[in-house]
Amino acid sequence: MSSRIGRRRRRRPAAQSASQMTMVGQGKIYPYVFSAPGLMLVGAVLALPVLYAAYLSLFDSNLLRVEQPFVGLANYTTLFSEGQFWAALGKSATFVFGATALGQILAVVFAFALNRVVRRLRFLRAIAILPYIVSGIAAAVMFRIVFNREIGPPNQLLVALGLEPLSWLASPSLAMVAIIVAQVWADLPLCILIVLGGLQTINSEHLDAASVDGATGWSRAKYISLPMIMPQLVLSTMFMSYASLTQLSTVLGLTGGGPGTATQTLPLELYRTAFLEFEYGRAMAIAILLFAINACLATFYIRLQRKYGVQ
Amino acid sequence: MAKPIIKAGEPAPEPSLEASPADRAEHAAPLPASRRTESGVAKVLRLVRRGLLWIPLAGLAIWTLLPLLVTLSASLKTPAGFAADPGLIPKLPTLDAYARVLNRETFQDAMVNSVVVGFGTLGLTLALGVPAAYAFARFRFVGRHALLLFVLLPLFIPKMGLMAPLYRMAAELGLLNTKLILIVVFTGTILPLATWLMVGFFQAVPRELEEAAAVDGASLFQTIRRVVLPLAMPALITIGVLAFREAWNEFELAVALTHGGGNRTLPYELYSLQTRSEGVRDQPAEAAFSLLTVLPLLLVYLRIERYVVQGITAGSVK
Repeated sequence: MSSRIGRRRRRRPAAQSASQMTMVGQGKIYPYVFSAPGLMLVGAVLALPVLYAAYLSLFDSNLLRVEQPFVGLANYTTLFSEGQFWAALGKSATFVFGATALGQILAVVFAFALNRVVRRLRFLRAIAILPYIVSGIAAAVMFRIVFNREIGPPNQLLVALGLEPLSWLASPSLAMVAIIVAQVWADLPLCILIVLGGLQTINSEHLDAASVDGATGWSRAKYISLPMIMPQLVLSTMFMSYASLTQLSTVLGLTGGGPGTATQTLPLELYRTAFLEFEYGRAMAIAILLFAINACLATFYIRLQRKYGVQ
Repeated sequence: MAKPIIKAGEPAPEPSLEASPADRAEHAAPLPASRRTESGVAKVLRLVRRGLLWIPLAGLAIWTLLPLLVTLSASLKTPAGFAADPGLIPKLPTLDAYARVLNRETFQDAMVNSVVVGFGTLGLTLALGVPAAYAFARFRFVGRHALLLFVLLPLFIPKMGLMAPLYRMAAELGLLNTKLILIVVFTGTILPLATWLMVGFFQAVPRELEEAAAVDGASLFQTIRRVVLPLAMPALITIGVLAFREAWNEFELAVALTHGGGNRTLPYELYSLQTRSEGVRDQPAEAAFSLLTVLPLLLVYLRIERYVVQGITAGSVK
């Protein structure tokens, strides 16, 4: 092989080690050349729009009007004074809180259970990951059928128990429950995997020592396993809250914000303002506020991660 | 034949190909002391504890599979008889809904678009991500610490927020409603995560192999092509599937960047099917459509599930 290489190009001096490659003249620019295209693309797609949104949010920009005057922070003040933004924020808060709480409980329960399955039941893990490949909108369509008044399983269960079927999607509070369930269903796989990853790295010595001291399964889980997977729990919470705060497809597909505005979360408000009302200036302002909320949450979680540390 | 429980310190019973029950009784080790003397209550408790394991597992299976099964059964029903046939198993199953969906020109267009955009995103992600990841993994250079920032960036910038500005930017560039803009944008959203995962995999390739190739006189490119890439192939496949899935399932940005006229991808098309108000909603067709969008990914997923799980569980413990 080396002779073939030698024939194709002038044989380079044999390098002492791979790191020496960076010290060769042309090696110095390689990392920059290699990483530049990717970095530029990501910058253009992720960073540039943020700046553009900040810029546009200072204008009174509407597709249907010809004039687009500069209005400074008027868009923001309108948002804060109008009720719709706060209402959407409130819906999002309920949604995020509900989804994160339900998601964490289920993730922990399922992960602990999956951690102890024998080889034959490994397929259960594959099943648990299934929702990951379903798109948000497809999940919304599925749950629209699940919560269907006539044929959905929840109502069928209620009828079987002799109770009245519920109009899940027509009642404001039940619709919120429905979107929470749908969102958790769609995003649970990743949370389960995160927690499961943490559980699988717990040194069994700790658990064995506790068994010897007489600890039962419950207390072993509570006092040893849970504290040891704190970083993973934080990560999982972060992911679920991020997904429920920023995702449009599940809610839009399932309820469209309804009934009325009962499930009009922040992403839906943004979608409505930009693409149904064409109020771009205000939409950009909502987007900037969404970025800000997101950044606060992310910093909060990063600090939490640092506090609990990665083991 | 059940394996006898062997307590530490006791001599192991001799294995035999065919053991009679008498043999088995003779060779089986006695139960642990605790189980021999356990009372009836303790036995019940032990079974209950066993049950406590099975209940969450059964719950997991039901939780995950029920929506899919309900949708499947809905897709086999007729629109007219939809509400009247509540059972999970349809009385008169029919594939008409699938035929209706597959024959729609908009569905076929959307399928083609999704496939093209999916592979485009896959290709562009690998094309840009592999060199970048290699640079971060192997070279010491000034921008190296920006990697963490690079990866965290999407965390701070949700796709939802990008909908409005990207729409305006694409409109100004005249790239609205094209497959190209979708490929570029989807790649941009998945590239940080893909690069980060690939950095980990490249770092796992032993330096000695690359050094050996360098000693043999191989150039950097040859080393990468012949040594590093083949070893990182499982990782590249995982990343490829990740990028494809991103493009296949993406809804928010597809809605922002495309509109009608045959350039939509499947998620957007599904949504427009659902919101169409042509009288009676064709719910079996909606169900069939949603399952058809899942099918291709499902086929791929069944083959690479192991890699995905490894990748994510490993990443969560970094």
